[in-house]
Amino acid sequence: MSERAVQDAIDGKTTTAGTPPVRRHGPLRLAFEAFVVRREATIFIVAVALLLYFWSNNSDFLARNNLVNLSQQTAPYAIIAAGMVLLLVSGEIDLSVGAVFALSPFLMHYMIDYYGTYPIVAIIGSILAGAVIGLVNGFVVVVLKVPSFVATLGMLFLILGIMLTTSHAYPAQIPEAAHGVRGWFGQSDWSELIWCLIIVAYFHVVLTRSRWGLYTIATGGNPLGASEAGIRTGRIKFGNFMVTSALGAFAGILEAFRVDSIDPTSAGADGASPMFTAVSAAVIGGTALAGGSGTVVGALLGALVLAELRNGFNLIGINANPFNIILGAAIILSMVLNVYLTRLRRAGRR
Amino acid sequence: MKKIDPQVEEAVETLSLNGLARRRLLSGAGMLSASAAAAALLSACSADNKSDSNKSGNGVGDFPETPKWKFVFVNHVTTNPFFTPTQYGAADACALLAASYQWTGSKDSSVPEMVSAMSSAVSAKADGIAIAVVDKNAFTSPVDKALNAGIPTISYNADGAKGDPGTSRLCYVGQDLYQSGVELGRRIASLMPSGGDAVGFIATPGALNIQPRIDGATDAIKASGKSINFKSVASGAELPQELSTIDAYVSGHKDLKGLFAVDAGSTESVGKVVKKYGLKKKGVVAGGFDLNPNTLTAIKAGDLDFTIDQQPYLQGFLSVLYLWLYKLSGGLVIPSVTDTGLLFVTKDNVDPYLQTKTRFEGSSTKQQLVKRSGPIAHA
Repeated sequence: MSERAVQDAIDGKTTTAGTPPVRRHGPLRLAFEAFVVRREATIFIVAVALLLYFWSNNSDFLARNNLVNLSQQTAPYAIIAAGMVLLLVSGEIDLSVGAVFALSPFLMHYMIDYYGTYPIVAIIGSILAGAVIGLVNGFVVVVLKVPSFVATLGMLFLILGIMLTTSHAYPAQIPEAAHGVRGWFGQSDWSELIWCLIIVAYFHVVLTRSRWGLYTIATGGNPLGASEAGIRTGRIKFGNFMVTSALGAFAGILEAFRVDSIDPTSAGADGASPMFTAVSAAVIGGTALAGGSGTVVGALLGALVLAELRNGFNLIGINANPFNIILGAAIILSMVLNVYLTRLRRAGRR
Repeated sequence: MKKIDPQVEEAVETLSLNGLARRRLLSGAGMLSASAAAAALLSACSADNKSDSNKSGNGVGDFPETPKWKFVFVNHVTTNPFFTPTQYGAADACALLAASYQWTGSKDSSVPEMVSAMSSAVSAKADGIAIAVVDKNAFTSPVDKALNAGIPTISYNADGAKGDPGTSRLCYVGQDLYQSGVELGRRIASLMPSGGDAVGFIATPGALNIQPRIDGATDAIKASGKSINFKSVASGAELPQELSTIDAYVSGHKDLKGLFAVDAGSTESVGKVVKKYGLKKKGVVAGGFDLNPNTLTAIKAGDLDFTIDQQPYLQGFLSVLYLWLYKLSGGLVIPSVTDTGLLFVTKDNVDPYLQTKTRFEGSSTKQQLVKRSGPIAHA
C-alpha cells in the first residue's frame, strides 16, 4: 500500500508544470504494475498456468462438475489456512488443527443426538469448542512457555484420542435433525466455496487493514520490539490460536456435511493431513514459516494450486504410486517458478 | 402443404432446425436447405448400412472392437502392500481385454479424499468405477452420481456394514467380511476349548473393511458358549505402530491364551510377537488374516496357527472383467455379488505359498505358469 502511495506521489511530482514531459503509462500498464507489486501475483500466475495446462490436457477439467470438485478440494484447506496464516505471521504454529477438524463434527453429532440441541446451536457450539481448544493451546504456549510445535503436537494426540474414544472410532451418520441446514454447510455444490471466500476476505481485511493485523505482524516480526511498544503479544497469540482452531472446527463440519458422514478418519489416520495441507497452502502462498509476514489471499491461491495438482493429475489418470512422484515434482517446479517470478517482480519494481 | 415422404421427414428431423427453417425446407424453398436435406438423407442411409455390417472378431478374442475403456479403482489405502496383487489382477485383466485402469483414492483411509477421487473419476467420464466402501454413508451419493452419469459402479474389498451395503453399487467383489469374522470366531472357539483371555487386534476400528470381521468373531465366540473372554484392541494404521502396540499389550497381559488379528499388518505383528516371547511353548494360539510374506513364514515356523486368504488378486481381476462385460453388453450382463472366498492357510497347506513367488500373492512382478501336481485338497 505505502509503496504505491509513494509511487503515486513521485508520478504526481514528475507531471507538475515546468518539468519535461515523461511518457505516461496507459491504464493497462498501470493495472499490470499494480497487480505485479502484490505479493500474491506470482502464485496467481502459477495457479492460472496450472489451470491452463490441465485444461489443455483434459477439457473436463473446467467442466462444471469438476469445478465443484476443485472448489471442494480447495475450500476447507483455505479456511484453515486463513487462520493458520495469522498464527504463522504471529510467530507460532498449530499442529493440532487436523484433530480439531476430525473432532468437531462428532461434537455436533453428540450435541444434536444426545442432548437434542438445535443444529445451528450445535454447529456454533462445536466451533466454540474449537476456540476453547485454541485457548488451551494459547495458554500452554504463552503462559506455560512451551514451544508451540511441541504444545500443539501434544494437543493433536490428545484431541485425536478424545475423538476416537468417544466415537468408539466408528463412523456416525449426519443427524436427521441437521438435514435442514446441511445445504448451507457444505452439502450443496458451492456452499463450501462461498464460506471460504467470505472467511478469506474477512481475514484478509483483518490482516491488512485492522489493528489486530498490524499487531499480529509486529508480534511475529519483532516480538521484543512489539512488546516494548506496548503490544500485548500474548493476547495476540491467544487470539490467533483460537481463530485457527475455530476455523479448523468449522472446516471439519463443512467436510462432514459434504461427504455426508462423520468419519473418525476424516483427517487421515494420524489426524495431521488437513494441517499439512493448510500449512503448505499458507507457505506456498507466500507466508513466512518464521513469522512476520504473510497473506491470506495468497494462502487461498496456495490451496487452489494444491487442489489443482491433486485433482488435475487424478483426472489425467495417474496411478497412486507414481502420483506422489509427479505431485512432488510438480510442487517443486511450481515453487521454483514462483520464486523466479518473485525475483522478476522485485527486479522490475522501481 | 405438400405431401412429404416419411423418410425425408425423418432425415430432416436429424438436422434439428427451428420451426421456420423446417417449414421452408419442407416446402422446398432455398437451394441451401435442399442440399442440407440431401446430406442428412445420405448420412441416414449410410448409418443404416454401417449397423448392418457389424462383424465380430476385430477386438480381443472374438469380441468386436471396443474403445480402450478405462476403469477407476478408488481405494482407501492406495499404497498398502495388501493391494499389490489386486493391482496385478486389474492390470492382467486390462491386458487381456485391451482396457486400462487407474489406481487412486487415499493413502490413509481419509474418506473425504476418497470422495474427491470418486468425483474426479465421474468428471473424467471413467468407463467404470470400482470402490472400496469403507464408510456406509459417505459413498451413497457419489455412487448415485456415477450411476446417474451412466458409469457402471461396483464395490470391491469392502461393502458397507453388515446388512447395509451403503450404496446402490451393481455388485460387490470381495470377501463376505462379517462371515469371515464368524469363521474366525468359530476357529478361535475350537482352538481354545478350555476358554481364557483372548484378544483381537484391529488396525483401525470402524473402518468397514475390517470392523465387520471383529464383530463377526465376537458374535461367533458368544454363540459358541465357551468361556472365552474376547477383547478387541486398536493397533494402529502403520506396521511399526501395530508391532509396538501388540508387543506392549502382550507384555502387559501375561495370562493371554489367544492372540488374533483381523488385518494384514496386525496379523504379521502377532506372528512376530509370538516368536519374540516364545508364546507357543506356553500354549498360546494365534492367527489372523491375509498373506503378508512374514505372516506366511510365521505359519511355516508354527508361530501362527492359521491365516485367512481372501484372494486379493481376484478382487482386481474380476472387477475389471465385470465392468468390461457390462460395457460390452450394453448393461445386459449385470455383474453379480461375488464372494472371493475364505481359505484357512495352515502349516499343512502353506508350502505352495512360500515356495513360489507369484503375482497372485503380490510377491513377484513376473508373469509365469505355476505348475501343480497331485490331488487337490478337499473335505
